[in-house]
Amino acid sequence: MLGIPLHIVLPTLIGSLLAGMMCSTMGVFVVRMKLSALGFAMSHAAFAGAALGLLLASVDPLWMAMLFAVAAATILGPLSEMSRLDADSIIGAIFPLMMALGLIFLSFAPSAGVGNGALSLLWGSVLGITMSDVYKLAVLAATLVIVLIGFGKEFLAILLDRKLAAASGINTRVHYYLILFLTAIVVALSLQITGGLLIYTLMILPASAAYQLLYDIKKVFLLAPVLGAASALFGFLLSLIADLPIGSSIAVMSTIIFLVSIVLSPKRRRTRFAAQ
Amino acid sequence: MDSVVRLSAVSAVYEGERTPALHNVSLSADRGQMVAIIGPNGAGKTTLLEVINGLLPITEGEVRVLGEQVTPGSHRLRRQIAYLPQDMFFPPATPFLARDVVLMGRFAGIGPFRAPHHKDRQLAMDALTSVGADALSRRPIGRLSGGQQRKVLLARVIARQPRLLLLDEPLTNLDPDAKGEISRLILSIHRQLGLTTLFVSHESGPLLVASERVVTVVAGRIVPDSVEEPLLVKAA
Ligand SMILES: Nc1ncnc2c1ncn2[C@@H]1O[C@H](COP(=O)(O)OP(=O)(O)OP(=O)(O)O)[C@@H](O)[C@H]1O
Ligand SMILES: [Mg+2]
Repeated sequence: MLGIPLHIVLPTLIGSLLAGMMCSTMGVFVVRMKLSALGFAMSHAAFAGAALGLLLASVDPLWMAMLFAVAAATILGPLSEMSRLDADSIIGAIFPLMMALGLIFLSFAPSAGVGNGALSLLWGSVLGITMSDVYKLAVLAATLVIVLIGFGKEFLAILLDRKLAAASGINTRVHYYLILFLTAIVVALSLQITGGLLIYTLMILPASAAYQLLYDIKKVFLLAPVLGAASALFGFLLSLIADLPIGSSIAVMSTIIFLVSIVLSPKRRRTRFAAQ
Repeated sequence: MDSVVRLSAVSAVYEGERTPALHNVSLSADRGQMVAIIGPNGAGKTTLLEVINGLLPITEGEVRVLGEQVTPGSHRLRRQIAYLPQDMFFPPATPFLARDVVLMGRFAGIGPFRAPHHKDRQLAMDALTSVGADALSRRPIGRLSGGQQRKVLLARVIARQPRLLLLDEPLTNLDPDAKGEISRLILSIHRQLGLTTLFVSHESGPLLVASERVVTVVAGRIVPDSVEEPLLVKAA
């Protein structure tokens, strides 16, 4: 696959970098706020939505993916927010359902759609990304930066502790849903690169690695996107060199980065010492 | 008119519970007053504080702070109220530095799209210094001891420059020396800034002695005779 001309893979390279940075930035929220189950459900809902979009042919799979992910955030968000005991099990029951729906939609999709398009929803695709997708990702990235700068203080206060933030006069609910919807949109837009099955790794692992290494949340917000971009870049290269699906390559790379961070983590030292 | 806090026939029920945690409670505190809230475990002391700042919704009655009605949506009003929760402990891996925990108390008042001002940082550092925790400012909050964390949270409350102070067992985890020092610090800030302070405590000490009033809560009700009981007069 190394013979592919640069201008064909360039959109995918840029798209992967943008997706890697955005997913891992949202991952900083998802990991700290224990929204993993919700993130998982959202990414599967986005997959089901995109598959329905392919089936309906007249609807852009991208918009359907966003619609489904945002709907999942809207419906499941309140469950997660009240941290009900059964929230995780309910959300846990949703994502296999979404997976099943997605696969059913794909199986009915018109044969024209079932080529690269359908499979890339599952596994991601090096060739499935166009410059127009890259523009959309870039617009989303710019929006994300503006929102994070604008409401960064409020977000940080909530990440420290939601109750303390509320007591100090921050409207925590508004910011909580802002985080959920941003995550949903980032997931839906990044789906076409990594695929629905593995986008979750790009969201969780680079952020978790940054948390392993650092004690200052502001630095976590700087390192996580760097690790996310590194996962995407090396994943992209691995997929070109070894001719692997790009989603899987990115997942492998982010896992390696996460494992290295655990070995290097200052937060584990005490535990290791205690274990001796 | 001078009432900073006024509760009229307030009842509160926790979600999923049948018996109210607060039952028909009326209470008011004027500007500059120091009010002690005492009572056995599970009496409703914490509930009372969280009803006053609106973190807990009430089912009956009315709560007013600084003349405004309090609801869970009273975000602006809460910027005038500093609350120190009873049990707040940050686990070792918590990714926040002590000085940021203090500074973040001021974030709501700064507002979106604005960076913290030099004055905000100065207030945060001064507050840390006043509780004797300035040396901890760059340490991760989770790597501090329970008492050290308590001091940082007290600094956060002080740095917010509130008009109403709600302290839920401010002295827990502190050593005897620190208990004395922090009590005196709370008193001096209370007097200097002309605050209204309500605090929950199980221990006697300078704070209780300085309280104009001691309110006893038992089983979700205020014991009638307990209000308006100046401890100093009683002791004399
Ligand atoms: N989250 C909750 N859900 C249901 N019931 C609660 C909850 N929190 C407190 N309660 C109940 O409300 C009552 C009052 O609790 P509260 O925490 O106000 O007591 P307290 O006086 O602060 O006790 P302590 O001295 O132990 O801190 C108790 O009976 C308790 O069981
Ligand atoms: Mg209590």
